[in-house]
Parts: sequence; structure tokens; C-alpha cells
Amino acid sequence: MSIVKCTHCHLEFDEKVMIKEPQNPELNFCCNGCQGVYHLLKDDGLDSFYDKLGNNTLTPPLQAHDDLDRFDLETFEKRYVKITEDGFKKVDLIIEGIHCAACIWLNEKILHKTDGIIEANINFTNYKAKIIWDDEQIKLSEIIAKIQSIGYNAYPYDQTKSEEKATKNKRDYFIKMMVAVFASVNIMMLGVAKYSGFFSGIDDDILNLVHIGEFILTTPVLFYSGIIFFRGAYYGLKNRIINMDFLVIAGASLTYIYSLYILFGGDGHSYFDSVTMIITFVLVGKYLEVLGKKGAADTLDKIKSQLPTEATIVSDGVKKIVSLEEIKLDDIIEIKVGEKASVDGIIISGASSFDESSISGESVLVTKNIDDKIISGTINLDSVIRYKVTSDYEHSTLNNIVNIIEDSLASKSDIENTANELSKYFSITILTIAVLSFLGWYVYNAEFENALIISISVIVIACPCALALATPIASLIGISWLAKKGILFKEAKYIETFAKATTLILDKTGTITKGKLKVLSVEGEVLGEEELNILYSLVDSSTHPVSCAVRKYLENNYKNLKTLELEDIKQIPAVGMSAKFKELKIFGGKVDNKKEYERTIYHFIVNDKNIATFELEDEIKEGAYEIISSLQNIKVIMCTGDNEKVASKVAKAVGIKDYKANMNPIQKAQFVDELKQNGEIVIMAGDGINDAPALSTADIAMAMGNGADIAIAISDVVVLNNSLDAIRDSFRISKRTYSFIKQNLAISLVYNIVTIPLAVAGFVIPLVAALSMSLSSLLVVGNSLRIKKD
Amino acid sequence: MTETLTMMLVVGLVLSFTILGIFIWGAKQGQFDDGEKMMSGLLFDSQEDLNDAIEKEKKVKSIKEMKSRKNKTKEDKNS
Repeated sequence: MSIVKCTHCHLEFDEKVMIKEPQNPELNFCCNGCQGVYHLLKDDGLDSFYDKLGNNTLTPPLQAHDDLDRFDLETFEKRYVKITEDGFKKVDLIIEGIHCAACIWLNEKILHKTDGIIEANINFTNYKAKIIWDDEQIKLSEIIAKIQSIGYNAYPYDQTKSEEKATKNKRDYFIKMMVAVFASVNIMMLGVAKYSGFFSGIDDDILNLVHIGEFILTTPVLFYSGIIFFRGAYYGLKNRIINMDFLVIAGASLTYIYSLYILFGGDGHSYFDSVTMIITFVLVGKYLEVLGKKGAADTLDKIKSQLPTEATIVSDGVKKIVSLEEIKLDDIIEIKVGEKASVDGIIISGASSFDESSISGESVLVTKNIDDKIISGTINLDSVIRYKVTSDYEHSTLNNIVNIIEDSLASKSDIENTANELSKYFSITILTIAVLSFLGWYVYNAEFENALIISISVIVIACPCALALATPIASLIGISWLAKKGILFKEAKYIETFAKATTLILDKTGTITKGKLKVLSVEGEVLGEEELNILYSLVDSSTHPVSCAVRKYLENNYKNLKTLELEDIKQIPAVGMSAKFKELKIFGGKVDNKKEYERTIYHFIVNDKNIATFELEDEIKEGAYEIISSLQNIKVIMCTGDNEKVASKVAKAVGIKDYKANMNPIQKAQFVDELKQNGEIVIMAGDGINDAPALSTADIAMAMGNGADIAIAISDVVVLNNSLDAIRDSFRISKRTYSFIKQNLAISLVYNIVTIPLAVAGFVIPLVAALSMSLSSLLVVGNSLRIKKD
Repeated sequence: MTETLTMMLVVGLVLSFTILGIFIWGAKQGQFDDGEKMMSGLLFDSQEDLNDAIEKEKKVKSIKEMKSRKNKTKEDKNS
């Protein structure tokens, strides 16, 4: 056996199963899809894609899609397509299957080479594409077919106003930050001349020149970049809160005015450099926050793009495609294999198995017959059925879930971080001290100028830099440490919330368990070699989760398995598979159609005789018990859509005392909300769409990396390796980081307590003030570096 | 001495503000909206890529011209 790479997707497979081409022996393909795409790229002269791909791997392309016509429908166009000023059409797409920069390059290239496409721009961060095309030369369905032909897929989405605003906001912050950084860098250069002048002496006119330079550089920073703080301070004051913004901007403006006074003839030292430094430092921190907020807007689009946009209605024997809003109660809907049900209903003809994992979180497929309920959002897996609508789109389960997610994402409350709480009192105290020292000195020796300088030096010394940096610096180091362990915190502020959490809610399937079926036990006769091979060939020809599990079991327990040529292989919807081998009638799957609650059973039957019965079960992740019992000072609750029996068994096995069974997605979210009402800080860990409402409601949402896209998208924390270890690590590191945040805050406070009295007493000379300002920031940064030293 | 320094300062500031201005222009155009794409951009500017970019510009221009010509004839007809 030798393992080779597929020439297109770079995934590794056994050489025996690869598709070979007689004329090109060096090529290996894992499937027809990869082969097709490879030749397409080669013919188009785009095969340099493979050099750019490097060591990345791709997902093998999907097989042909047949419902492309819907993209040209009027209902679709009304919803997604916009007209540009020049009269071209424009659509926003989310591209699926992008792995690396080379994928972006390829998609853009192939679209640019297509006639009629004017612009195709794909964003690397969120995989959104903006496409503008000329309607007379090409249709949208053809554009999407083009993307599919090279192995990717595209969904249109409604670009929301909020997204446009978020993009603009982010850009605005970025420019403001860069202006501030630009000025700081230049001022530092001038600062070299200024401060070396302290020691070697400097001519007055040259010093003045330096001050003028600093003035020119500082002005845009204070009034352009700093406008954010002016605004923040203004809204704070309007709500009668003196916030950090106020302290920053009050300090910066007063320092600026004082320095202006020095510049125009006053005697002393100007502090333009401090003004830019304060604003730059704090602005960088703010920009990092804005980046996170932009992510939330991207998320909603991703959820919406995966929803069905229309359904096939059958009335008087005529099929008609309508948009979801037009569906009425008691309409008859036909749903094809692989389609998602768009509204709830009851089956009136046909039977099929449904993948309900997106709603119930259960990985076991559910068989549905006439009169069974269909839940919107579930996927029809094996045959065409018709059902009667029992709720319109607005009231469907799917729409409810989306609405809950949307609402809770929009109103996600922040746990106030310690630095902000502190800064309220800090700001007021400092301002009071400054005013008092001004009055004191003025009354004492009646020198206005002297009194003003002293009160300003109090504010400058108390520069909130250290306070403002205390949290972001420590969080940043904590985050990078966590990232190395495969745990991604999307925003720095979540570290503090994580450390303060009081309740941890775990989903069962996919979080505590692996979410994959495993053969638990086998009953029946000992399998002979031929029977083994027959069974192996049978399960090998299906991708159904049960078949995969049985195949894996066989591969692990037996050697020298061979695939035999089976004839007449048939999938029996919702039951299993049948086939023929020589004279033998073979069947694998369920025997009676009773619903299996606790386990999945797989019978292997040859010529109507039951040869073996496999019991399958979802497997619990390694080390679950030790990890969960090691979590101290936090309440652990398990929530699942599964029934009581399974829930209690799993809960017992991993040592969780509290568990909730039979919870649907909305109940989960309500449960989280109740806990929050009771003052708990809740972490929710889950992996499916069924967890999405609860995830978006929780203070911290933690998603497993192999979970549904939506769950990952709305989560604050993503665990890349899916292990439960990550939960323990997150707690350990976030708690440690938080303790350092507290230390940092203490340092900056102690620092202020020592230096402010000196400033009040008028002992602070300019050089000391400038040095000590940097020193306090350095202390905080230096202390934060110790986080990683265990 | 002071004059030279003044001149250097003025030239330096003018130059750097110009560069800052170009940067802001770029940012407002949306060139820095996508951080990751920007970073990997340098992997994809071989001669071939540049030629393709020119081809693309030409194509877009010709489509746009065609469209505007059509619109004009329409307007003429209408008036």
C-alpha cells in the first residue's frame, strides 16, 4: 500500500483507489470531480494555481448541481441582485470551499476571464465576493456554474445595511489609527533632538523649531484621530458618566493647550509628544475592538445565505417555484433529495429519512412517513416527498431560530471589564485633584500661570495610558498563548469574561461525545471470510454514517479485507441497502421500522437469515471525565436535544450532576437566558446549528472547530482540535491572564498614588514627567510578559 | 544652521504628509479593507498576473463603452 496525493485537491489516498490516466501516468485523482477541474484549469492556462497552492489541501469538488435556474428567477433577482449606476447588475456572494490565497486567486482569475464580468472581488477574511456583470452577455446562473465548475460553490446573500456601516466604520478607525501612528513615529524622531538637548544644551530657536514641527504633527492627531474620544466623552457626559474617553481627551487637550502656550512664548517644556502617544496607544486598542465588531455583522450574512430562498409548490398538479414569503398555510410543497425543508409541515406522500442534526443536534437519521412532521431546516436525504404546510415562513422553526440569533447578537451585552469600572472613579478623582491643586496654588501664591502648570502636570502625570493598556496588553498575550493551543478567542475582552464565568453549559453531541457513531457490540455468528468481505463491500459502497461506522469497525478488527464485485446495489430509503452477490441476497440496515431511541442497530442479513447485529453508539471523547471533574468553582450543566435515557447515561459517564434532556434549540436559549437573569455569567459550548440560539445568547459562546459553520461564526471562542482539553486550558489561561490584568491595574494605580502627590506639590520637572509617563506604560507591558512564564 | 534645519523640516513634513495623503486615498478606496488578501497580494504579482490585470482593464473598458453607446442611442431615440 502506498499513499499518494491527489493531483488536484492534494488530499492523500491509497494509490489503488486513485483514478489514473494512461496518457499521463504521473497524475493521480481521488475522484472524477478533481480530474475534471484539473483539466479545466490546465486548458485555461491556470495551472500555475498548483504552485501557488503550496502545501494546502482542497475539498474535492462537488458533483454537478442541477438547480442553477433558480438564480435567474425573478423572485431571486428581486431579493439579491442590484443595479449599478452604469446599468450593470451586481450581486454579493459567499464563496464556499476557499482554503488559501491561491483559491481566491483562482476564483478571481476564472471570473475575470469570463466574458461579460466586469468586476469580481473576493474578500479573503470572510469569503464574500462582489460581482458586477453585464446582463446582456452572461447570466448569474452561468457565473455560479463557472464557480462550481472549478470546485467551489457560491451562495448569494443579502448585504445588510449594518455590514456596509461596519465596513465603513472599520475603515474610518483604520485611517485614524494610521494617521496617529504616522505622527507618533515622526514625533519620536523630533523627540530625539529635543531630549538630547536636555543634556547637551540646545539653542532656543532650534528648540522652537522642533516644537513647531511637533505642533504640526500633533494637531491632526488630536482633532482628526482624537475625534473618536471627543465623541465618546460627549456621549458619556450626556449619560452622566465620566468615562475613560473623557480622561484621555481631557488630558490630551489640556496638555495640547499648555504646549501651545509654551510654543507661543511661555517658558517651559512642551508636551506635544505625550498628546500623540496617549491618543495613538489608546486608539490601537480601540481598533482591535472594532475588528471584532465587524466580525459579528459578517456572521449574520453567513447564517442567512444558508437558508433556502424558495420552495416548489404543487397546486392542481402543476409545480411552481415561489419565494418563501408567498407560501401559505395548507400549500403542498415538494422537496427533492438533498434539499432543505423551508417551512414546517406534515408529510402527505412518500417516505424518506431526514437529517435533523441541524435542529435537534442528533446525528442519527430520522425516518419520516406519511403524517409525520417535517421541521424546517432539516435535510431530505433519500427520496422525493410532498408535504402540507402547517406554518408560514415567518412562524417556521427555522425562521424563529434565525430571529433569536439575530436579536441576541444585536443586543449582546458586554460584561463590563474591570478597567472600565475603575476608570470611572479614577477619572473623577484625578480631575478633582487637578482642580483642587490649581485652586490651592492660586490661593497660596496668587500666581495664575504657576497654578495652571501644576494642575496640568497632575493630569499629564496621571496619564491614563497605563490604565488603558493594562487590559489589552495582558489579553493579547493570553490570546496568543491560547491560539498556540488551538483555541481561538475572537476578541481580547472575552478573556476577562471567561475568567469571571460561573456556569458552563455543555452540549452533548459533538461536544462531550465525538458526534460520530461507533460500533459498540456485535451479536451473532462468527463471520466467515466470505461473509466478512461481502459485508465490507456493502458498507464500503455507501457514505451513510452507519455504513461508515461499520466499515471502520471491520477495518480495525479484521485484516485482509477485500472488496468484492457486488451486483444490483440499491439504497432503500430510510432503511438500508440491498445487493446481490452470486446467488446470495444481501441486506444491511434496519429490520423493523420502529424508532430506535437509545442506539442505532445495523443488521447484516444474507438470504433472509440474520448473520450479525451491530449496535452503534455515539462515543464519548477521551478524558472527558477527568477534564470535567477538574473544573472547579464553576457549575457544569449538560444540555441536549436527546431523550432522558441517553442524557443521563452520558452525564453519569462524564461525571456531570446537572443535565437537561429533550431541549429544543429555543428552549436551550431560554435556559441560558434564565441563568443570565439570575446573575450567572454563562459559557455555552456547542457545535451545531441547534446550539446556535443558545450560543448567541450566552456571555461566551464556545464552538468546536468541526461544528457547523454557523456555530463557529457566532461563537466568541473556537476550539480547533475539538478536544475537551481546550475547555480546561481556556479556564486556566484566562484565569491567569485575568489575575495579571488585575496586577497591571494595581501597578498603574500605585504608580499614580506615588507620583501624583509629587506633581501636586510642584516637584515634577519636565524631564521626569516625560520619562515617568513612559515608565508606567513600560511597567505594565513588562509585567504582562510574565503571563506565559508558568 | 537654523535655516537649513527649517528647510529640512519643511521638506520632510511636506514629503511625509504627501505619502500619508496617498495612503489615506488608498484606504478610502478600500485597498486595505481585506488585511489577509493584502498580505498575500505579493505572492500574486508575477508578470503574467500584471498582464492579466491589463487585459481585464481593457475588457471592462470595452464593455462599459459598449453599454454607454447603447444608452446614448436609446436616449437619442427617446428624444
